[in-house]
Amino acid sequence: MLSTVPLNVGRRRVCGSVFSPAALEAHPSNTTADSQREQTPVASFRESTDSSSTFKTDSQSTSFATIGGLTDAASPEEDTLNQARQTVKEFLSVPNLGFELLYSFRNTDGSQALKEWNRLSPPSKETTEALEYLMRTSPWTLFEWYGNDIRRHFLVNFRTGLSKMLNSTGEEDLLRTIVDCLQLARQIYLAPVVHYLLPLIATHHQGGGQLAQLQRAFHTVVQYSLPWKKISPLLARELTRDAAVILGIDALDEDSDADRMSLDGTEMERAYSVSYKEWRQESPEAQLHMMVEGEDDCVTFTRDRLLAFLDGLQLVGLGGDQAQKVFANVMNIMMGDFIRAAYAGEWQSPSTAPQHLEQWVENVYARLAAQVLAIIHSDPAGTQSGAMEVSLRDVEKWRAMGIARLGKLRVSELFDVVVDWPVSGGAVEDLRRFTNNSSGARMYVTHFFSINLLQRLLHPGASTVEILQVYISIIRAFHILDPKGVLLDRIARPIRRYLRDRDDTVKVIVSGLLADPATADGPTATGDNLAELAAELSKVHQHSMQNNRSELDYDDLYWLPDPVDAAPDYRKSKSADVIDSLVSLFDSKETFVKEMQTLLADRLIQKRQNYDQEITVLELLKIRFGDSALQACEVMLKDISDSRRLDLTVRNDQILSGYRKQAGVGKLHAKVLSRFFWPEFQEQEFKVPDEITKLQERYATCFEKRKDSRKLKWRNGLGQVTVELELENHTFTDEVTTWQATVIYAFQSDSSEPATRTIPELAEELEMTVPLVRSACLFWVSKRILTEVHRDTFRVLEILPTEDEEHHAHGTGDYSDGSDSEAGDTANAAAAAEAAAAAAAKESTEAAAMEKMNVHWQFIVGMLTNQGPMALNRIVMMLKIAVPGGFPFSNEELREFLSGMVSKGKLEIVNGGNYKIVH
Amino acid sequence: MDYSMEDTQNSAPEAQQASKLNSSGQKSDTQSVTKRLQAELMQLMLSPSPGISAFPDADGNLLSWTATITGPTETPYEGLTLKLSFAFPNNYPYSPPTVLFKTPIYHPNVDFSGRICLDILKDKWSAVYNVSSVLLSLQSLLGEPNNASPLNAQAAELWDSDQAEFKRHVLARHQDLDDE
Repeated sequence: MLSTVPLNVGRRRVCGSVFSPAALEAHPSNTTADSQREQTPVASFRESTDSSSTFKTDSQSTSFATIGGLTDAASPEEDTLNQARQTVKEFLSVPNLGFELLYSFRNTDGSQALKEWNRLSPPSKETTEALEYLMRTSPWTLFEWYGNDIRRHFLVNFRTGLSKMLNSTGEEDLLRTIVDCLQLARQIYLAPVVHYLLPLIATHHQGGGQLAQLQRAFHTVVQYSLPWKKISPLLARELTRDAAVILGIDALDEDSDADRMSLDGTEMERAYSVSYKEWRQESPEAQLHMMVEGEDDCVTFTRDRLLAFLDGLQLVGLGGDQAQKVFANVMNIMMGDFIRAAYAGEWQSPSTAPQHLEQWVENVYARLAAQVLAIIHSDPAGTQSGAMEVSLRDVEKWRAMGIARLGKLRVSELFDVVVDWPVSGGAVEDLRRFTNNSSGARMYVTHFFSINLLQRLLHPGASTVEILQVYISIIRAFHILDPKGVLLDRIARPIRRYLRDRDDTVKVIVSGLLADPATADGPTATGDNLAELAAELSKVHQHSMQNNRSELDYDDLYWLPDPVDAAPDYRKSKSADVIDSLVSLFDSKETFVKEMQTLLADRLIQKRQNYDQEITVLELLKIRFGDSALQACEVMLKDISDSRRLDLTVRNDQILSGYRKQAGVGKLHAKVLSRFFWPEFQEQEFKVPDEITKLQERYATCFEKRKDSRKLKWRNGLGQVTVELELENHTFTDEVTTWQATVIYAFQSDSSEPATRTIPELAEELEMTVPLVRSACLFWVSKRILTEVHRDTFRVLEILPTEDEEHHAHGTGDYSDGSDSEAGDTANAAAAAEAAAAAAAKESTEAAAMEKMNVHWQFIVGMLTNQGPMALNRIVMMLKIAVPGGFPFSNEELREFLSGMVSKGKLEIVNGGNYKIVH
Repeated sequence: MDYSMEDTQNSAPEAQQASKLNSSGQKSDTQSVTKRLQAELMQLMLSPSPGISAFPDADGNLLSWTATITGPTETPYEGLTLKLSFAFPNNYPYSPPTVLFKTPIYHPNVDFSGRICLDILKDKWSAVYNVSSVLLSLQSLLGEPNNASPLNAQAAELWDSDQAEFKRHVLARHQDLDDE
């Protein structure tokens, strides 16, 4: 272009001759027909020069100085030039109309505003000539001056208004308004340039450059006057609002969806949806199209609005790098929001969440990103170079990010997932993908989950059954998640440690094993036992038989080394064998077998038709533990089946040998237990009625006849009695415990008067402990057989009181709730009976504990005799070392025990709280 | 120089291994001793014999015990409490424990530093003996000293000649150990 200098020079000369100085001088009066119009700009110009700050005057003067400097040489030409400049300046200068006007025009298409600012009136002939002249001679200086003028004008007129607006918070579309205003201002500034100046420039390229220069000037002043610190939160808000709609996040939020529906009033079905739930139900082909086609009106509208807004933003110079940063931030948050909204709680298996997410990223997320980034690019020149702002690699990266986020979500949900196990399989599948993808993820999963466990599971508030239930779920879920078992190994350690500390763990496990699997069909076990275990036991025993390989199996062609992140003492568990994991909680099988024995004993002495369930469980356990470990249980079962046979024979013998069933005396069945193999029974000793004793003796004789050299020892506390009671106006038939039966038998009398007995009397007669007698009496009260006339005195309730009498008896109570009080009475009595029975049971366990303590007492005596007086702590420490199996009592319990011994005079406390034995 | 280096390099692991083996052997030994002593203690506690009692010291490894014998009736030691110390070797019960009287005692078979002359604690030891049997033997030794091989010749002589004087000596020598 610069090669055409001679041509330019020539033109200038022509122009100069045409542009007479006179014409230029006459210009002020001639430029515009409207004198008012003519005066306003001049006046305002003067005013502005007067009031303008130093910055503007400076820039103005410098610009003119340069122009002057350039054209110093030829004075006549300079003259022409000056005049031309003056004309052009007046044409181009922007009227100082202030921000309010601009603000009022913000929503129009701008033509009115342009008219108002005198930007549309075509230049007069002289102006055109002056323009043409200047464009030829020094277009750069002209544009430079205009750029400065734009700056000056903006600062004077619009800046204060804009910043005031920016500072006024709370307005919904604040940024949009600001951008609208700025766009208008830009139009005002650039309209004459675009309309009248650029056509005069010879080549398009040059014109573009100059327009860009002006734009840059405008952008600079906008950025200067509107601090980015304030813009960026507004922009983020704006972007968040619209992006949430476009990305479909708002629709995922059920509440807002419902709101929108009701607001619209129309039952507009959103065909276009990114909802995972709906997506799952579609066919694969439909799934492919679901996010691409049929975009909602609402989304389209929002998208257009956002893009238009961003267009404006970019135009007024608030786009670029900074806007991109804000956008990236927003999109980052959006990704998390979407994943949370779409997938939280969606745990169905098989999981297609990752596919759905990938599709969403590709079709929705990347699309928006591409569209937005195409508008707010960092290249200020705005070259449409065709280079995609969003490359395929970026999409790939977003996809990976999305999967990682999904994994994170699943990790945070993991505890609930495990609790909801089998129905939450999908979530674990997602998580598996996550842990397979990244190396740190495995550590993250276990770390996070362990913390979760500590907070939510391993505390005193959770029952052992719950903990075991969750543990079983964990075993299953983690087996899917990580078949190698490393993660499970890591997770399970704290749980196992905790379970070992719980006293009732064994009990719960064993009772779970013995539970009836028929009741455990569903995955959820009943509240208080783990019947699931029984089902599990019968299910997995085949596996355990197959997988009985040792660690050093040299023929195992599929052997793999332990995973790298396994703990040193990691042991490969071959299957998700729940039973094995639970049984291996304890150091030895003995604990387990012992508990098994106790529980089995309880169940076996109950009167039942058959014991198939117990036999099955025992057989299954034998596969696991070997025959020898469960020998005692075996013998127990055999005892029961033997005694059934024996019972039959003995009864036959009795009949044959002439004993006949006597009236009033019931039948006696016995179970013969081999004492050595049965656990100790804690039972209450008492005297059974003479009739029963006679029966027992007869039974024993028959038995001893059959089995030489074996003697029967009766355990009166165990067993059941079928009691039939006939009272004046009611009868009672039920199965009760032996001691309850014995007590009620004592009330039997032939006289017509109802029998009345007191508790001490009964206790002495029956050689029964007082709490037990009381418990039995209260039991009969609850059955409405006895009534407590005074404290500890009971009378047979021969005649069941009618309603009226009942009311009468409760004379103080009002009549309306008579029946209530009656029901309440019975309930109370039942509760009291229960409490009394519990007290009796507690007494017997306390006695057992005392028994145990007696052994320890021997140790303490030995210790104190030989080692001299000792303090409590030392005694406990020594007991822990010396007593095989450890010392099960706490310091407090021991202190109590020892102080009991002190009061008995067996110990004394010498100086410093040391205990000393008294010889 | 080089050779010696090589030598040490070659020999080092072996030596290490040897020491390792040794220590592990020792460990298992200690364990079996501990187990045995624990069983003995349990037995002592569950079926205590009158007049004797024993308990491990507080050092926690069960290898040293303190025992107490009450002097049997109708002996010069009647009513006296005598304390003894037991030190079990690592190969117990294949070697006898070292038993000493801690309480000063005047007895033909015990010297003034408490050392005891009793055949089952020396050459007649057998693995079937245990703390309880040793204590019972010692208890009977109090009533029937073996004057054929006395450690305290004067006591042996007095036992035979003058029981009253013997008892006087016993009481003079006896001195209850202060309970710490």
